[in-house]
Amino acid sequence: MAQSIIGLLKQRSVLGLFSSEDSAADALDALREAGFAQGEFEVLTGTPYPEGTFGEAEPVHKLYRFPLIGAACGFIVGLLITAGTQLAYPVVTGGKPILSIPPMAIVMYEGTMLGAIIFTVIGIIFESRLPRMFMGAYDTRITEGYIGVAVTTQEDRVGVAEEALRGAGAEDVKRGWERD
Amino acid sequence: MQEHVQLTQREINRDLLSGVLGTPKWWLPSVALLALIFITGVGAFGYMVNKGVGVTGLNRPVFWGVFMVNFVFWIGISHAGIMISAILRLTQAEWRRPVTRAAEVLTVFSLLGATMAAALVHTGRPWRGYWVFPYDFPRGVWMNVRSPLIWDPSAVNTYLIASSLFVFVALLPDMAIVRDRSTGLVRMMYSFMCLGWRGTPRQWRLQAVAGILLSALVLPVFVSVHSIVSWDFAVQIGPEGWHSTIFAPYFIIGAIHSGVSAVAMVMVLMVWLWGWERYITPDHLDAIGRLLIVVGTAWFFFFFLEWIFALYTLEGPEIALRELQIFQWPWSGLFALFVVTAFLIPVPLWLFRRVRRSLLLMFLTTASVNIGMWLERFLIIVPGLMRKQPLIFNWGSYQPSIIEVLMVAAIFAWVGMGMLVFSKVFPLIPLFDIKEGMVGRDEIRIGRRTVPASIRE
Amino acid sequence: MRNGATQNAGAALASPAGVTHDLLDKHRTTGNMFRAAAVLFAVLFVLGIVGFVMRLQDGVSNRAVWGYHAALFAFILTAAQGAPMVSIATRLAKAHWRRPISRSAELFTVVGLFNLLLFIPLLWVLPSLEDGRRTLWFFGQDEVPSHSPHIWATIALVALILCGIALLWVSALPDLAAVRDSSTGRRRRLFERLAFGWHGTTKQWHMMRSRLDILGVFYFMMMVGVHFLISIDFAMALVPGWIDALFPATHAFISLQTGVATVLVTMFVLRRFGGYEEYIGLDQFWALGKLLFALSLLWVWFWFSSFIVFWYGKKPSEQKVLELLMVGPYLPIFIASFVLSFVAPFFAMIWNPVRKSIWGPTIVAAGVLIGTFLDRVRIYVAAYSIPGIGDPLVEKHDLHEIPSTVLPELPDILIWIGAISGSILVYMVATRIFPPINIWEQKELLLYRVHRRFHRTEVTVLGKPD
Repeated sequence: MAQSIIGLLKQRSVLGLFSSEDSAADALDALREAGFAQGEFEVLTGTPYPEGTFGEAEPVHKLYRFPLIGAACGFIVGLLITAGTQLAYPVVTGGKPILSIPPMAIVMYEGTMLGAIIFTVIGIIFESRLPRMFMGAYDTRITEGYIGVAVTTQEDRVGVAEEALRGAGAEDVKRGWERD
Repeated sequence: MQEHVQLTQREINRDLLSGVLGTPKWWLPSVALLALIFITGVGAFGYMVNKGVGVTGLNRPVFWGVFMVNFVFWIGISHAGIMISAILRLTQAEWRRPVTRAAEVLTVFSLLGATMAAALVHTGRPWRGYWVFPYDFPRGVWMNVRSPLIWDPSAVNTYLIASSLFVFVALLPDMAIVRDRSTGLVRMMYSFMCLGWRGTPRQWRLQAVAGILLSALVLPVFVSVHSIVSWDFAVQIGPEGWHSTIFAPYFIIGAIHSGVSAVAMVMVLMVWLWGWERYITPDHLDAIGRLLIVVGTAWFFFFFLEWIFALYTLEGPEIALRELQIFQWPWSGLFALFVVTAFLIPVPLWLFRRVRRSLLLMFLTTASVNIGMWLERFLIIVPGLMRKQPLIFNWGSYQPSIIEVLMVAAIFAWVGMGMLVFSKVFPLIPLFDIKEGMVGRDEIRIGRRTVPASIRE
Repeated sequence: MRNGATQNAGAALASPAGVTHDLLDKHRTTGNMFRAAAVLFAVLFVLGIVGFVMRLQDGVSNRAVWGYHAALFAFILTAAQGAPMVSIATRLAKAHWRRPISRSAELFTVVGLFNLLLFIPLLWVLPSLEDGRRTLWFFGQDEVPSHSPHIWATIALVALILCGIALLWVSALPDLAAVRDSSTGRRRRLFERLAFGWHGTTKQWHMMRSRLDILGVFYFMMMVGVHFLISIDFAMALVPGWIDALFPATHAFISLQTGVATVLVTMFVLRRFGGYEEYIGLDQFWALGKLLFALSLLWVWFWFSSFIVFWYGKKPSEQKVLELLMVGPYLPIFIASFVLSFVAPFFAMIWNPVRKSIWGPTIVAAGVLIGTFLDRVRIYVAAYSIPGIGDPLVEKHDLHEIPSTVLPELPDILIWIGAISGSILVYMVATRIFPPINIWEQKELLLYRVHRRFHRTEVTVLGKPD
């Protein structure tokens, strides 16, 4: 356990910057050939690309569960608030029954939707693996059109990664732990 | 033929961040002016709080005046934002790209404006606003869920939270772009706000799914909000002309009519103020103009139904109200102005391609729609109350006082100011969406013709 | 997109000639199953005529017994005559996925002709305005004929049907010409006439496109107009005190929802039994399924918008209307239609695996069709069960007594079976004339959809001409 945490802490990241999509895709191939596992490298882009443009693995997510859970929570809270307040303060108004379903349905509906939306946003952030405290290897040129390939690996494998990135035609290779 | 300019990411950053990284010359004076109007309105509000609602023109039997009109009007404007962005996202319409953010932000600020109009000003005693929430255990008095005035806050709050989150999620990649272009403290702030966005395929995938999923979730909320606002009126049987089942769809379609028009106005303003004519082209205005023809005509159909059924009742008071609205001065003048500005001028004009592609004409016609739709709400609320029937023994008229006018102006200034301040902090056109459009852009050659095309996954 | 219609097809379907040959071959041959089904529906249709003759024995003065007939007419108006909107709306929106199904949706306009037959007896059943009921025509206020509802509804209905058939015909001209060119003898002469000399000149194509748009817009407007007239004059006006301004819009809206359901079921049949599985694929079911899902959500909104105003207002007249239409004699039918038109579509289609399948949307759509039928029964049978306003027991503008449930009798059931079989039969005959898959739109798709490599992946590129 402790060993693996130390291992994690010892990880270093390097970034290769590419100006064309194809050379970035080549870099991924080169990294795979050099024996890097799927989770060790990722593509960073300043714009969404069609899935699989770089031959990267398709991200799997479970976002669709979040709104359902949120909706259920919101519905229950809505039910408790509407029914609870009416029963706690039972004054007949407008000749309506104390527990009037149509008005309760309106408020419960809003509660359900609110729950679903809040949980969805939480889900989006969580599934995007955000917030991220440490940026690792990154370059501001990525949001300018360069395509970054970041490799996060053991210290001793950094050299191999850099070689692979350069070999694929990286215009620049940066080390995450060195400030520029 | 659609025009298209292929731009690099660097150019897009430079153009669309011009308002964030730099400050246009007109920006500060405009914000200052709007702030002045807003502060004047706040002063008027303070005066009203101090003296009581007697300083307004409200009196028996007209207790709902221009504040309520503004509430409905701004709720209406707030609808288009999300509608445009959600429906266009769900239908994958390419022309949505430069429009979505501005529309969503318009939603947020007009909703806040509507909340001010209703919760703070209209109720007259804003310090009791918390009564609509489940609160106050020791007193043992709870809000009355059976009242539409409880449905309303629940819907508006839901909508406000939902649309703010919607804006926030779509802002993440763009805040990262600003982070990369700034330094020092500003950079730290954007780093914090964008939550450390890096742009991995996973994050982009989630961003795409989020756009669709949140749109699908926000749309039902959007429909419910204005329906509930309309039920504030429709479920009552007292005031004439309000108790009609058509109200929910009529309000919704009216909201879309005025809201989409407002979005078109914002689009034109974005070209005029920031010079983004490479991003918002006549094609975009053409597309929104076509949408407006459909929306405007649908609105007219519901307007027609509302009227025909008022006459269908064959009830004296109802028909007397309609006679007041269309034959008695000044209501007749307002009514004529309303029909002409909301429908008869703009919709026939939009049928012409040249009008739809002209910045100035689109701005004028859509502004005209908003004048008309404001009057529509006025003509529903005030005459209905003037002729309130059961158990009301005095009929009276209504004229807004200067205090009300100042506060209404403040709400208009608030929305404008909010949009401008937002545009200084965040890009008003989603950069990543534009960039995605550039990546996905393609064309198909058929013989001598090149057809614009886009990539679909 | 990987399950796209044409992608499943063999290489032969990748060329315009291949598509034309394949579709024309399918259109030319009439299978044994088709013949057997046609005979079956013809027999059932005859049963319906028997039922109608039995019904006529009761005469037209007793309105209550005609309620089910009126409901049936309204159902076919809603389900069949709303279906072409699927083609019209998606064509105006330039959605490419519509191409394989636009014809099957437009073909429903011919069912309108059949529905006209059902409408005729209603003209005698509906009383004239002289009984003093509330009406759209404000009878008694102005000089209007006392048969205004009958006259205008007929004109509107006929106009709608003519417009629909014109739409179908115009959109089919290139295909009729293709049939003409591939056949000989009598068949060739027949299609020569039907194709109106179509040769595919640029001018003809241009004219056809603009006419399709205009006819589509007209069809929609007339459809709304017909629903407006029918829902008020043939249902609402018969119930004293029922003033629901939203009802005509709801009536027309349900037609859109049910139209989508009708097309979904038709697509399934064409795919399963018609041999068109290479054309109609998951794309179409998925897209229409999403549409049906959205429309089902709107269904409950339309219903609730009317309901809450009546329920909250608590006016005696409105309470009576709610009792008549929802919680009173037709409560079970109301619940069933609520479940089938909203609850089932919502809770089924919210799941991705159900929405993105062929069976899911089809089953839900079949449920929606039944739900709409029950909804129409609830409204029309209830409205026709109110004794005439001339009746001394009935107050002019208020409903005092709620009549008891009217149950269907043998003639009613025979008429349902006959009319629905008749509609299907008419549709089947129409598919023998007009190819049920639009050939020219299918060929057009080959121009605008290409598959390209995009770096390391394969993408679909869709062209959008303006």
